[in-house]
Amino acid sequence: MLYRVIDAAELPLLVSAFMQQYEVVAPVKRGRSYVFDAIEHPEDMVLDYPTTSASLKKYFLPPKETLMRFNAQTNRVAEHTLEVPPRVIFGAHACDINAINRLDQVFRDGTYNDPYYCARRDATLIVGISCTPADSCFCHLWDADEARFGYDLFLQDIGDRFLVSISSVEAANILESACNPREATDQDRIDFRHATRRRQASFNPGIPDIQDVAMLMDAFHKDDFWEELGSRCLSCSACAAVCPTCFCFDLQDRLSPDGKQGERYRVWDACTSPQFAQVAGGHNFRPEGRERVRHRMYHKLNGFLANHDRMLCVGCGRCVKACKADINPVKVLEFFKQKGADDASAA
Amino acid sequence: MTTTELSGIGVRGQGRPARVVVASFASCFGCQLQITNIEQHLMDVLGQIDLVYWQLTDSTPMPEEFDIAVIEGAVTTEQAESQLKELRSKAKAIIAIGSCAVTGGVPGMVSRDFYERPSQVYPKVPHACGKMITPRPVSAIVNVDFETRCCPIDPYDFVVMLQRAIYGSNKLATTRTLCSDCKRNETSCFFEDGTLCLGLVTSAGCGARCVNLGRPCLGCAGLSPSANLDSARQCCERYGVDARAFDERLQLFNQTNPAVEDSDR
Ligand code: SF4
Ligand code: SF4
Ligand code: SF4
Ligand code: SF4
Ligand code: SF4
Repeated sequence: MLYRVIDAAELPLLVSAFMQQYEVVAPVKRGRSYVFDAIEHPEDMVLDYPTTSASLKKYFLPPKETLMRFNAQTNRVAEHTLEVPPRVIFGAHACDINAINRLDQVFRDGTYNDPYYCARRDATLIVGISCTPADSCFCHLWDADEARFGYDLFLQDIGDRFLVSISSVEAANILESACNPREATDQDRIDFRHATRRRQASFNPGIPDIQDVAMLMDAFHKDDFWEELGSRCLSCSACAAVCPTCFCFDLQDRLSPDGKQGERYRVWDACTSPQFAQVAGGHNFRPEGRERVRHRMYHKLNGFLANHDRMLCVGCGRCVKACKADINPVKVLEFFKQKGADDASAA
Repeated sequence: MTTTELSGIGVRGQGRPARVVVASFASCFGCQLQITNIEQHLMDVLGQIDLVYWQLTDSTPMPEEFDIAVIEGAVTTEQAESQLKELRSKAKAIIAIGSCAVTGGVPGMVSRDFYERPSQVYPKVPHACGKMITPRPVSAIVNVDFETRCCPIDPYDFVVMLQRAIYGSNKLATTRTLCSDCKRNETSCFFEDGTLCLGLVTSAGCGARCVNLGRPCLGCAGLSPSANLDSARQCCERYGVDARAFDERLQLFNQTNPAVEDSDR
C-alpha cells in the first residue's frame, strides 16, 4: 500500500478532477438525514456525515434493474444494452466498503459471477473517508471498522490534512494530477495514530461485545427470544432495503402497455417479506414473523460466516434506525449478554 | 385477495380479443377516469381488448357475454350485491380497481353504525338510494382474481393487471408493508419527528408515493393481510405518536376491514 498526504484544502480539486471523467456520487443532506447522490459541485457534498439512511448497494444492485427484453409475440430475446456510467463513489465509510466486499463475495468472486453486478463494480472507483462513529454504529465488533481493500483511495482525516491510502493506478494518477501529494512525515503518522485511537474510543460502549456470536446463535436457535423479537415484525423489509449487505432479489416480467414487448427485471426482495419462502404449490416454509426475523439474523450472524468466513453484517447501524419495530442485531447481542449474565448468576 | 385458477393462464386463446366490461358501484368514478390518464398508451391498451361496455361512456345495457369484468366502487346496496354476483357468474376474471372496490374505501368510512346514518341525512330516505347495506369491498361478496389498489389507481398498474388477466401470470401478490418501498426513496421517516404515517401496516406497491411527495401515508392501498397492528401501535408510542390517532386514521380507508377495531363485521 502506498501512502501520501494532501492538504484538506486540496480536496475540492480532487473531486473536480474526478468529475471531468466520472459521475461523482457523494453524501449529501436530504431532509433529516444524509443520502448518497450524484453531485454537481464539490461543495454539494458533506464529508463529515453520519451514516446515510440507505446504503451504496443501489449503485451495484439497483432496486429495480432490467436484465433482458423480449418480444412477447415471437417469444424471442430482444436487444438490451446495460448502461453503466463510469462512476466515483466519493466519501464511503469503512463499513460500507466492507459491505461492498461482501457483495463482491456473492456476485463477483463466487462460482458464477453476476455480469450486471460486475459491469457496475468494474466501472466504479471508490474513495473512502474516515468517520466518527454514531451511537448506532458497531462495525468494530465485526472487524469492519477498517477497510483493508475494496477501495481506490482512502482518506484518513488527520486534522487539516488527509493521509491517503492509494490502491489503484487509475486513482493514483488522478490524485497526482489534481493535488500535490507528498510523503508522510513522522508528524503525519503520529496524528494518524491519534485520530485512530480517538475513533476507537468513541464507539458506543452500551452495545455489548459478545464473543462467539455465531456459536451462540446455534445454541439458542429454539429460544423463546425469537418469538418475542419476531412477533414484533411489521413485515415491511425496511431493514433489508437499507442494509448494505442484503442482496436478495426477485425476478419478474412486465409487458409494455401494448403487450408486444416484455422486460425481465430484478427487484430487491428480502427474507423478511411474507412470501419470500413461498414455493411452488403454495407452501411457505417461513410463514411467521418469528421464523423470518430469526432467518434474517441467522444469515447475518451465522450462515454467511460459515460459507464466506465473514459476518453478513458490517455493523453500520442502518437497520437500527430503519426498523420501526426495534428489531436489529444489537437486540440479539443484548439477548446474549443477558443470557450470559443469567448463566453466571445461576452458576 | 382470493385468487382463482384462472390467474395463471389468462382468458385469451379463444381466437378473439378478450371482451371487457367496466362497471362501477359506489365510487366517485375517478378510477375509471384514471384509466384514460394513460393517455398516449390508451389506444395500445384498447388494441388488446374488445371493450364491450364502459359505464362511464355507455348508457346502453351491458352485454350478456364477456370475459373480464373491471369493477370500481364499493357495494352499498342489495341491488349492487346481486349485480356483482351476476358479473361474477359471467366473467372469467374480475379485476377490482381502486380503494372503494378493494377495501371499501371512502364509502366504507360510514360503515360503523351504518344503519343509523341514512335517517341522519334524510328525513325520508329516497327510493333512489336503493336498499342500503353496510358498505363493503368487492372481495367480501365474490372472489376477485386481480386487484389494482389505491385511491385513485395508477393507470399503469391497472394495465399490468389487465394484461395478467388476458395473458396469464403466476406472479405472487406481496403482502409486504410499505416501509421498504419508502426506504428505496431515501426520504426521512415521518415517525422521526413524531408524525403518524400508515406505511407501517399498509400494503406495499404504490412506491410510497405520498411520502415521496412529503405527506404521510393514509393507507389507501389497504391494510396488508400481514399487518401487525399491535406492534404498529407500540411503534407509535415509541415515537411519541398517540396510538389512538393511528386507529382513527385507519378508519379512513380500512374501516370495513375486520382486523380494524370498530369495523362493523
Ligand atoms: S425486522 Fe423491522 S424493518 Fe425488518 S421487516 Fe421486520 S419490522 Fe420491518
Ligand atoms: S444488518 Fe443492520 S447493522 Fe448489519 S449491515 Fe445490515 S443494516 Fe447494517
Ligand atoms: S438476511 Fe435475508 S434478505 Fe438479507 S441477504 Fe440474507 S436472506 Fe437475503
Ligand atoms: S415515512 Fe411512513 S412509509 Fe416511510 S418508513 Fe416511515 S412509516 Fe414507513
Ligand atoms: S403512500 Fe399510502 S396513501 Fe399514498 S398512495 Fe401509497 S398507500 Fe396510498
